[in-house]
Amino acid sequence: MAHSSASAGDSPPPSSPDTTQNNLQHFFVLHKASEKLTCNGKARKRLDLSPTKLKPEKKEWDERCLRMEAFQLVWSGIDSTIKDVLRNMNARVFNDIHSWVRDSFNTNTIKPFPPPSPIVTHQLFTALLLTKNMEFVDDFLTFQELGLFLKSHGCHVANLSSFDFSPKNGIAGCLASLLRQFLMRTFDAADMSILASWYSQQGNYGSPVVVIINHMEQCCGPVLSDFILMLSEWIVKIPVILIMGVATTLDAPSNILPSNVLKKLRPCKFTLGSPAERMDAVVEAALVRQCSGFAVGQKVAIFLRNYFLNQDGTLTAFFRALKIACVQHFSTEPLSFMLGQLLAKEDSKGFQSEKMVKGASEILLHARDQMAEQTDIPIAHCLTELKRLQMVWSSIVLCLYEAGKCGKIQLLDLFCETLDPDIYTSLASDNPTGIGESLATSLSSDRYMLEQDLSFQKGQTICQVVRKVRDLPAALLCQLLKSWDVLTVDVPEIHDKVKELQALLKFEGGSCKPDFTDISRRHTSHSPLKIGKSQSINGKAAILVDCMVRYFMRPIECIQCHEIVCFRNVEKLQSALIGDSRKRIQVDLLEFHKILRCSCCSRSGNIPLSSMPDTSIVYTLAQEHGDLINLHDWFQSFKTIASQPSRKGECKLKQSPLPKRRKDVNESENKSEASIQARFCRAITELQITGLIRMPSKKRRDSVQRVAFGL
Amino acid sequence: MEMNDGDNEEFGFSRNYFLAKELRGSGKRSHSKLSDIDVVDEQELIAAASKIEPKHEKEVKELMNSYKSSYSEWAFELRCGLGLLMYGFGSKKALLEDFASTSLTEYSVVVVNGYLPGINIKQVVAALAELLWDQLKSKRKNPGSSSKVQQPFSSRSMDDLLAFLDEDRTNECFVCVVIHNIDGPGLRDSETQQVLARVASCSHICMVASIDHVNAPLLWDKKMVHTQFNWCWHHVPTFAPYKVEGMLIPLILAHGNTTQSAKSATIVLQSLTSNAQSVFKVLGEYQLSHSNEEGMPVDNLYASCRERFLVSSQLTLNSHLTEFKDHELVKTKRNSDGQDCLHIPLTNEALEKLIAELSQ
Repeated sequence: MAHSSASAGDSPPPSSPDTTQNNLQHFFVLHKASEKLTCNGKARKRLDLSPTKLKPEKKEWDERCLRMEAFQLVWSGIDSTIKDVLRNMNARVFNDIHSWVRDSFNTNTIKPFPPPSPIVTHQLFTALLLTKNMEFVDDFLTFQELGLFLKSHGCHVANLSSFDFSPKNGIAGCLASLLRQFLMRTFDAADMSILASWYSQQGNYGSPVVVIINHMEQCCGPVLSDFILMLSEWIVKIPVILIMGVATTLDAPSNILPSNVLKKLRPCKFTLGSPAERMDAVVEAALVRQCSGFAVGQKVAIFLRNYFLNQDGTLTAFFRALKIACVQHFSTEPLSFMLGQLLAKEDSKGFQSEKMVKGASEILLHARDQMAEQTDIPIAHCLTELKRLQMVWSSIVLCLYEAGKCGKIQLLDLFCETLDPDIYTSLASDNPTGIGESLATSLSSDRYMLEQDLSFQKGQTICQVVRKVRDLPAALLCQLLKSWDVLTVDVPEIHDKVKELQALLKFEGGSCKPDFTDISRRHTSHSPLKIGKSQSINGKAAILVDCMVRYFMRPIECIQCHEIVCFRNVEKLQSALIGDSRKRIQVDLLEFHKILRCSCCSRSGNIPLSSMPDTSIVYTLAQEHGDLINLHDWFQSFKTIASQPSRKGECKLKQSPLPKRRKDVNESENKSEASIQARFCRAITELQITGLIRMPSKKRRDSVQRVAFGL
Repeated sequence: MEMNDGDNEEFGFSRNYFLAKELRGSGKRSHSKLSDIDVVDEQELIAAASKIEPKHEKEVKELMNSYKSSYSEWAFELRCGLGLLMYGFGSKKALLEDFASTSLTEYSVVVVNGYLPGINIKQVVAALAELLWDQLKSKRKNPGSSSKVQQPFSSRSMDDLLAFLDEDRTNECFVCVVIHNIDGPGLRDSETQQVLARVASCSHICMVASIDHVNAPLLWDKKMVHTQFNWCWHHVPTFAPYKVEGMLIPLILAHGNTTQSAKSATIVLQSLTSNAQSVFKVLGEYQLSHSNEEGMPVDNLYASCRERFLVSSQLTLNSHLTEFKDHELVKTKRNSDGQDCLHIPLTNEALEKLIAELSQ
């Protein structure tokens, strides 16, 4: 077998693959890459979408390429934004670590007089970086970034993971990895002296050498101990500084390492941000501020939130879910390519390229029947409006978040609620008149209606924010208004009101007079804020929140042409993200007729029929057994069902002109017995492959064990 | 609402589990023996297994064809950096290979048969590197710095190979790995899965894999799932028979079949002398009455046979034993005291049957 697979590199060309032989090879080359045109965003020219020139297949291909380009553009935007956000969050800690590294290095290299005792000189400077997160998967990137950060500040850095500290490879594994990273070469015999001589070379000497160990708790204790002892022995020649990630508490090293090794460490503590903080920052940057124009519908948002909270609580899982949502949006939504164009041309001359609009309208006509009636609406206008409304929505969500921060409201919860089309429609239906007018009336009223208008379950978080604003102390309110002032700068209607409130607050505080002059100069047509006179400044702010939600916060799904930017198919996302193999494979077997859509078996209910696939029969029969299935009984019941159609065979025998001799009949019976046994064996084998039964043990030769109980 | 659903599901699951356990404890439990099935000859069984007529052939074919419409979507996802993980009942071998040969023509494709035991993962990775190298050469661009030193891929270390596959190059060359049964016996161990995860995360590799085992997801930790494999799950039941995948799994009725071996033992014993048969009976009876022991010590057997005047010397006993051993009727084991023990490799039921037949 090994021989056959070894020669796989020069296996036969794809035209004549020897299937049976391939099935027995460990691996083989199916085909080599053809020289076909690929969807390459950079190399390909921008496509001409004019429909007359293109054949349908070519057109479809081009569309897909456009969407691929759009995806790459959008996702790289989201990806880099999220990375930047996380990097910024870590920046402070990274800077602290860097200055500590520098200080430690200087202490190491400057030889004091008189020389300290040997014990002190052999100590390693060690940073314990508390990650505050048991899910280490989120911190891989952090440690990579830390490595890059320190490298960019002139340190020699090597990143080691817990795999490098496996008992199998021992200390040689760590050393090999170190040499690989510092010297960029692999050595047959890894030795610390190679590293020491490398460090003494011109150019290397004089910079700190940092070794980062990702997840200290997962390392093999003895190997890590040996590693630390070795480094401390060589510290005079190569002053290594250690950084170790600790997921639990500060006493983790003492749990893993023996005391003689602990003595070799001179620890210092650093702490990273918590997962919840990071999550909020990521949601803000990627979904609320919409760095790249991609948006998700409410159901998807709720799913993403629940996935984060219930499934595994890691940012990495959330990140993957978002990526899959993005991929699915571009792979299934024909109009999604426009998002790419929108982003690409945003900076230059606007996105209303004639060709693109024409092409998009074509696609609109062809691909989306439900949208077809809307094609008379100029799509360029739609896009501009979409962008504007999104921007307003995002400003308001951020305002609400800012207000909710002191009440520990999570952005993710708020985000899901602000995307709810029901809230918008229920509030909007109360306002048949134009926005401007309603805004004026609402603002001048003395009551806040929001809580009444929103049912308890629907707008819980928003109502909480309103209540928070009402109870906010003056100093915090002042801060809040300041932040609103910044956030709403692109929404003049709200911005003005915020300014007015700020002025009122100053006035009430007695620090200065209300300064309406600036506002009235800019908007002469508008009278100064007429918020109910009896209201306190908090009440006024709460009314402003009410108005923001009521008149400006339009969820993406309530905006025309949202299909271009918004992904809503939550079922598709869920099935791609969480494949429930345990349940689905059983359902496949028990309800196979729903998938195969055959007419013969669909009426059976739970009663197995001989026309059903053998494995389905066997598995349906298994449902009647306890956790142990007696093979003999199982076979007998299978035989009863499987031999049902054999009556047909008997009929045939009777019809045949010459009466068969007894021996022949016996033989055919024997044959059918053999085939039933073989079918039973095959079905058991298939169940064994799916892992739904455990095979007989030596003790219990007569029964197999059921593994799954219920779906 | 969702919580309730989850709770119900959990309740249903535990209820089923305990019901099943209960069923086992109750008197209903069957004590029928596998040996009661009149199993046909093993060769006949194997022959019959190879000739099983497929059911619902038309529907299965239609089902397979219905997946063709998803090919472009799968290829899109693959190109976006996701890995495809296909699951659902039925062999997905033909489906995946058809997908690869129709929709992934722009990539070189390597197929790994995970259902076979003993796959050397390093050879696979070396083959991938080889293919990528060919592809880079044919594009006539600078294939990368590390590859200037042309050391054959097969002799490079795994880290080197992975670094080569992950090197950052401007051109868009991809090698696609199609892995049938990534949960199969050849790839199931955690070390191989780690290597596969690292391969999947390389920038020049895309991965399509199939799983069949219901617990396959337990093979991967969060890092592998979320950052390396980046799986995008697809439920694609095919209901195609697991012909190749089940090739190496022994048929349950043929494997360790007590009836078969008891039958052949009877035939062998009947051809021996009556003294030899009696010696075998002594051994068998001892084994039945001392079923917890390793076997019957040779000295004991000699003593009992001498008492019954079956053998006159150790030499005659040895000649009988040689005969038994040649026909695999008896095996020698060493017990905890270091004595050589004789043991008949049959289950108690089969042995009882055999002794009953000999006594007739």
